[in-house]
Amino acid sequence: MENVVELKGVTKNFKGFSVENMNLEVKQGYITGFIGENGAGKSTTLKMIMNLLRPDAGEVNIFGMDYKQHEKEIKQRIGFVYDSNVFFEGLNVKDIKRIVAPAYKQWDDALFYRYVEQFELPLNKAIKTFSKGMQMKVSLAIALSHHAEFIIMDEPTAGLDPIFRRELLHLLQEIMEDGQRTIFFSTHITTDLDRIADYIALIQKGNLLFNHSIHEIEENYTLVKGSLDLLDRDTEQAFVHVHRTSTGFEALAKNVQNVEHTFGNDVVMERASLEDIMYYFKGGMQHA
Amino acid sequence: MLNLIWREYILFKQSMLFFIPFILFLTFFYDGFHTAVIFLGGSFAISFNSYAYDEKAETDILLNSLPYTRKEIIASRYLGGIVHMIVSIAFTSALLFIFNKPYTVTDIAISIALFLVFASLLFPLFHVIKKGYFLTVAVNSFLLITIPGSKVRSFVANLVTAVTEFTSGAMLAAMLIYAVSWGISVIIYERKEF
Repeated sequence: MENVVELKGVTKNFKGFSVENMNLEVKQGYITGFIGENGAGKSTTLKMIMNLLRPDAGEVNIFGMDYKQHEKEIKQRIGFVYDSNVFFEGLNVKDIKRIVAPAYKQWDDALFYRYVEQFELPLNKAIKTFSKGMQMKVSLAIALSHHAEFIIMDEPTAGLDPIFRRELLHLLQEIMEDGQRTIFFSTHITTDLDRIADYIALIQKGNLLFNHSIHEIEENYTLVKGSLDLLDRDTEQAFVHVHRTSTGFEALAKNVQNVEHTFGNDVVMERASLEDIMYYFKGGMQHA
Repeated sequence: MLNLIWREYILFKQSMLFFIPFILFLTFFYDGFHTAVIFLGGSFAISFNSYAYDEKAETDILLNSLPYTRKEIIASRYLGGIVHMIVSIAFTSALLFIFNKPYTVTDIAISIALFLVFASLLFPLFHVIKKGYFLTVAVNSFLLITIPGSKVRSFVANLVTAVTEFTSGAMLAAMLIYAVSWGISVIIYERKEF
């Protein structure tokens, strides 16, 4: 399987925060969701993928090429959507298109106007009068109109109403249909990912904790509930993190078979949602 | 590259309403001051309009996400500067002609040399000064150049005289400074993080 993005040993230091030795692969033809709490390093990673930030150490390869030699070729093939508006606020959609379109060899005007119509975007109104959701739609229309093979999005669903959020997820599935496209997007709304993501990468405090397929996650991670007397130093090893209450414990386990082996039928197992996984990983880190 | 320069005109469209009165203002109120300053004002207006615009928006993020290299982005600023200068000289000449104000080719030559020098100083600053302060710096420096009685103005006046005397030499020197400034901007911009 080919990787569209490969980060190898990427490190980036800021004052009080750093992304450490990150190895991340984004597989071609799939949607990878990038999750983590605010400040975990999602935007930093995305910016390194876009060459807006340069890593202190490590390698960034996109489509198997590096930015030093192939910056333009790489960016021709990427569509981007950022969490804040990067366009000129005083301009209308038409003028923004006039500025952006000539940059792309494969710009498709007809396709652009189709999205404009689909998203119901007014062409002649300054985008500063648009809501955050509408501004996001402008970015999206632009990102999708030059036949980009790789779409990268930073929190695209933040600030969107639930209906458009659903529409967006549908649209993303639709554009994935030819099998050539790859989408990588960060979010902290994990329910979005339950619906569409094929792979999930979880980042915490600048460290990539895992990058698994949804299938692997469903098979391996499980929520376990049971009474407190089942817990001791040995049995607790099976868990990422244990949450104790007066009536019993609830914990996240990484390996279902392990739990079955250790506890047998004494515990109740439930499917762990992505939110559960994020929550327990965070707890686990704090207590480590 | 041309796209990036054209971009500045799309942005400039927004400021036309400000630009025309500005040149008219210079034409009438700076009567008596060197005509070169009127040309200079016009040239400054277009270049700094886009800088001012870009300062408000996350333009660096946008341009660097599009298929342009950082060298091209800087090149578009410097080549754009020259294009804007030519456009504004044509425009200002037309205005001066319409309002029957005399001007000479030397005035234009002086304004070109001055523009190149000031742009050389200000363009690299744009990438160094904290966001939000650049326009203030640019406007203030322009006012200092033009307000009667300011030391900078008398310095510029002397400069103008000097330039007048050695137009061709001054022109060459100005172009050289512009080229060096271009190089410095590239070095600064290549190291920037967004």
